[in-house]
Formats: sequence, C-alpha cells, structure tokens
Amino acid sequence: MAHRLLRDAEADGWERSDFPIICESCLGDNPYVRMTRALYDKECKICQRPFTVFRWRPGRDARYKKTEICQTCCKLKNVCQVCLLDLEYGLPVQVRDTALSINSNDTIPKSDVNREYFAEEHDRRARAGLDYESSYGKVQSNDTILKLQRTTPYYKRNRAHVCSFYIRGECTRGAECPYRHEMPVTGELSQQNIKDRYYGVNDPVALKLLNKAGEMPSLEPPEDESIKTLYVGGLDARVTEQDLRDHFYAHGEIESVRMVLQRACAFVTYTTREGAEKAAEELSNKLVIKGLRLKLMWGRPQAPKPESEGSEAAARQVAHSGMLPRAVISQQQQQQQGQMGMQYYNAPIPPPPQQERAYYPSMDPQRMGALVHTQEGSSSGGQGESKPGSSYPTMPPPPPPPHGQYYPQYYPPPYGYMPPPPAYQQQYQPPHQSAGPPQQYQHPMPVGPSASSSSGPGGASGSGQAPSTSSGAGPGPEPSAPEGSSQQ
Amino acid sequence: MPKVKTSRVRYPEGWELIEPTLRELQAKMREAENDPHDGKRKCEALWPIFKIEHQKSRYIFDLYHRRKEISKELYEFCLDQRYADKNLIAKWKKPGYERLCCLRCIQPRDHNFGTTCACRVPKHLREEKVIECVHCGCRGCASGD
Repeated sequence: MAHRLLRDAEADGWERSDFPIICESCLGDNPYVRMTRALYDKECKICQRPFTVFRWRPGRDARYKKTEICQTCCKLKNVCQVCLLDLEYGLPVQVRDTALSINSNDTIPKSDVNREYFAEEHDRRARAGLDYESSYGKVQSNDTILKLQRTTPYYKRNRAHVCSFYIRGECTRGAECPYRHEMPVTGELSQQNIKDRYYGVNDPVALKLLNKAGEMPSLEPPEDESIKTLYVGGLDARVTEQDLRDHFYAHGEIESVRMVLQRACAFVTYTTREGAEKAAEELSNKLVIKGLRLKLMWGRPQAPKPESEGSEAAARQVAHSGMLPRAVISQQQQQQQGQMGMQYYNAPIPPPPQQERAYYPSMDPQRMGALVHTQEGSSSGGQGESKPGSSYPTMPPPPPPPHGQYYPQYYPPPYGYMPPPPAYQQQYQPPHQSAGPPQQYQHPMPVGPSASSSSGPGGASGSGQAPSTSSGAGPGPEPSAPEGSSQQ
Repeated sequence: MPKVKTSRVRYPEGWELIEPTLRELQAKMREAENDPHDGKRKCEALWPIFKIEHQKSRYIFDLYHRRKEISKELYEFCLDQRYADKNLIAKWKKPGYERLCCLRCIQPRDHNFGTTCACRVPKHLREEKVIECVHCGCRGCASGD
C-alpha cells in the first residue's frame, strides 16, 4: 500500500485517530463490521480541517456511513461523529443543552481563523493529556432528558437514501438500484443544516422534541375527592417498597403501599387527600428512583367486570388490579356531562342486547350494521347510520339515544386503541387535538336500542360528547360512539 | 528515409470461416466505443466494452478449446492479433473461473479489504439477488450459476 508521506502530521495540526467516536445506531447491529480508515481523507464539516475518515456498513440493509466531523469537534460537544447526536442520550445538541441547561456556545468560536485556532488549541491540549473541563461528564441527568432520550438504537436512519431518479419516475436501474424507491418525506424537518445542528441553533428536529417535552401534561387532581391513591408505573425489580416509601413519605402520611410486580406498578395510598395531591404535584414528572424513570398518575377504584369487546383495553384495565390510571378517564369525564355514577366504570358493562332492543321496538334491527356488541359492529353500525339517524327525528339530535348502550362501548374502543400504560401520557394530547376533526364526519349515532330510554336522552348528551373526546384518545378508532359528537 | 519493413498479416487457413464473425464483433466494438454517454452512469458507459471483449474472447476460446474447430495455428494467430484477450482465456482454463466476466473483477488490489467483486459471489450465497457489478456490469459470473 502506498504511504503518503506528509510532513509531520502533528505539526500541521491535522487529526489522526484510530477509531471513530460513534453511537450505537451508527455503528450498526452487526458485530462483524469491516471498517476502512483513510487518513486526512476529507475535511471536517464543521471546522474544515482534514481528519481521519472511517467508513463502514452498519448492517445488512444499511448504506455505507462515514465520519463527517473530526474528533475534536465531536469531543467539544460530546456527539457522535456521524449523526451529530449526543452520545449518551441520542438527542440533538439543542435538546440536550436546553434540557441540561448547558451553554457552551459562547466558548466555541464559529468563524474562520478563530475556530481553527480554538480547535487546534483544544486538540493540542487533549493530546497532551491535559484535562480540559468538559461539562458533559459532570451533569446529572434530569427527568426531562431521561424522558426524551432514546433507549434503543435506531437503525432506520442507516437506510439507503431515497432514489432521486425514482422521485422523478426515471429510475432505469430497477431492481438493482441500491437506493430506496419511496417518495421522500418532505416538510419542515427536512431542511436541516449540519452547522445548525452542531451548534444547537435553529434545529427543527430539536424544536419539535422540545415542544413535545413541554406539552407533556402534568398531573391534575381528580374530581373525585375521595381518591388518595397514586399509581406508579414502570417499576422494576430494583425498586422496592421501601424506596417508594422513602420517596413518598415526604408529602404526607402513607396509608399503604401496594406493589404489583407482574404489572410493574404500585399503588401508594395516603391517609389524606392533601397528601396525595401534594405528592402528585411534586413528583408528577420528576419521579426517578434508582435511575429508573417512573410514571405517576392518579389511581381510581375499578369496577371489576371486564368487557369482551374492549377486551384489550379492559384486560389492561383489569390488570391494574384495582386501580386505574385515572387521568385518562378523568379526561373523558371532563367532557361528559351527567355522568352520574358511571364514573367508576373502567370496564363498561354491556347491557344485554335483548333488553336494549326491547326499549325501542321501533328500531329496525335489520339496519346495516345492526347492533352487534363488538367494536366492528358498532363502527359499521356507526357508518351506516346516517339514514336511520334522520329517520328517527324523535331522538334528540346531538346524542343518540342508545347512549346508554354505547356509553360503555366507547370506553373500550378508546382503550382498545390505547397503547400500553407507559404511553398514557400521550393520550392526553390526542383527546384534545384530534377530537374535533375526526368526529365531524362520523355519522350520527345509530338509533339503536338503548339500555334505558329515560337515561338515554339524558345521558346521551353527556356521553355524546364524551365519545368524541375519548375516541379521540385512541389513534383513529372509529367506534360508533363518537358519531354522536358530530351532532353537537 | 530508410525502408521501413512492415510485417504484412498472413492469414492462416481456416481464417475465412471465422472472419465474418470476427469482423462483426469488431464492428460492434467500434460502435460501443463511439456510443454517446447520455443517460448512462459513468461506469455504465464502459460496460459494453467489457461485454464485447468477453464475447470475442469467448468465441475464439470456444472454437478452439471446446468445439475444436480451428487449428492451433489459427488460434494462436487470433491471440497474437488481439482478436481475443489471452489473459482472460488463461483464467477460463482454471477451475472456478470458467465464466469469469473480466479481469478487473478478480483483482483484489482494486477492491476494499482485498476482496473480489460482488459478481463473483454465487447467487445463493449473496444477500442482494440482483446486482450489476460496477466494473463490467456483470450480474454474476461464479461458475456455479
């Protein structure tokens, strides 16, 4: 192999290294990775100095990746040389800096000779072994950043780039084309600039993440004054009852701590309601025990009967062994009026079909999507219901009368579509945001048999609105229940 | 100027039989050389050259070694006159290289990590099934497939 003899590399300040500083995602899943090393092959994208470029393929379905910035630049910000995301958390520089309140931007010059000088000085010091101060080692991880961080490597970013010929419809390579034949995802996120990302300024991905972090809801006290129990999720074998007591005793006297290991959760009951509220307020997004970030929500007493239709959701609910994350249900209830004692439904009890039909004999059971007590049935019943909706003018338009029947049903659909407990927090958003649009196009609730004619219309209005929000909770479920909202 | 002795080509017997095909292939090669490069990748523009070269050599190799229809003299003549590539034919005589596409694909110095081209890998051992090697556009020249 020809050796390019340069003048003493050290004198020039050009960087040599033996192995790249990269994150797990960029390195790939293959333990047998072959890497080429090319000294002074390219210039660093940030400081424009020549550096050692490593090139490898991070896995079978990956493109070849190479180091983009030099090690000096990467150490200054503690980021991966390829993807420029933080080495520990996998987050963009801007996110990490705001979350940890680090501001190193002032120290790093950005222009011309200043930058080169700074980089070389830094390099020289590092090579000489002088311990320069790095803020990254000393920072304590806080809750926000733990919430935002990436825990598993994300290999999707190693995929091949999108074939630009395919976008124009001109790719003649066909099957052997190594690029992806997909349409590109456009949008604000695709205008990224490596310098912006490195310095942590004006980075669209970071802004999006920060917005999401800012909106993560805080815990609201439940309406039911008698609840003094907090649900703690995300438990692990490492967290003991004593740990929980230690964390919770400060806010009030603990009546009991019940741990349910098979569900990775625990229920902490206070003797006083104020204690529980105080604990919720203080710990809501900050509960970190032994480095494990735990989710805190209000508990609630649970009606024990699981429902077959919403079995998924119901099973999950039942599995909370007595308490349910109240927050989700409280949201629905906030929009519902006249809930009247339905509050303790966590698993709605479906009224027996025969009874319902008896209440409204004029209801045509032969309608399309006749009331079958399944989600599908309700949905299709919902879809096909516009006509019957109009044909029963006696029914109060906004809430369909079979409210009583559907009330239980729309619990399961939203829950059925909910992701597993740790994701409950996200459910706060969808109910608020997506409640509106998806519901508008729903057909009016089918005027099917209702559980109770009297409570139907009365409760209908309440539940008519509830479905819209609660169904909004599920990502796009279309149970028949939400249709009622369109009539609002 | 002193008289320059140019050696005239003396065609051996049997030449008339193979001449038309060889001329045709030569014309094809010239056409490939003069092809415009529009719409093709940089490496792709060279692929027809390698292909025709392989074809020519294959023709002569087959005639002599497989079908035995021409004499040794004629064969050697063709090799001397560069109607076929003798280095490529030399590889074809070796086990495992009977279908070799071109000489670049087996040159480890031309490849990262000192390997050979992907077209030399048998299809059942490969992950991507359809490839066109970057040197000669070969889709697979392992002897097995």
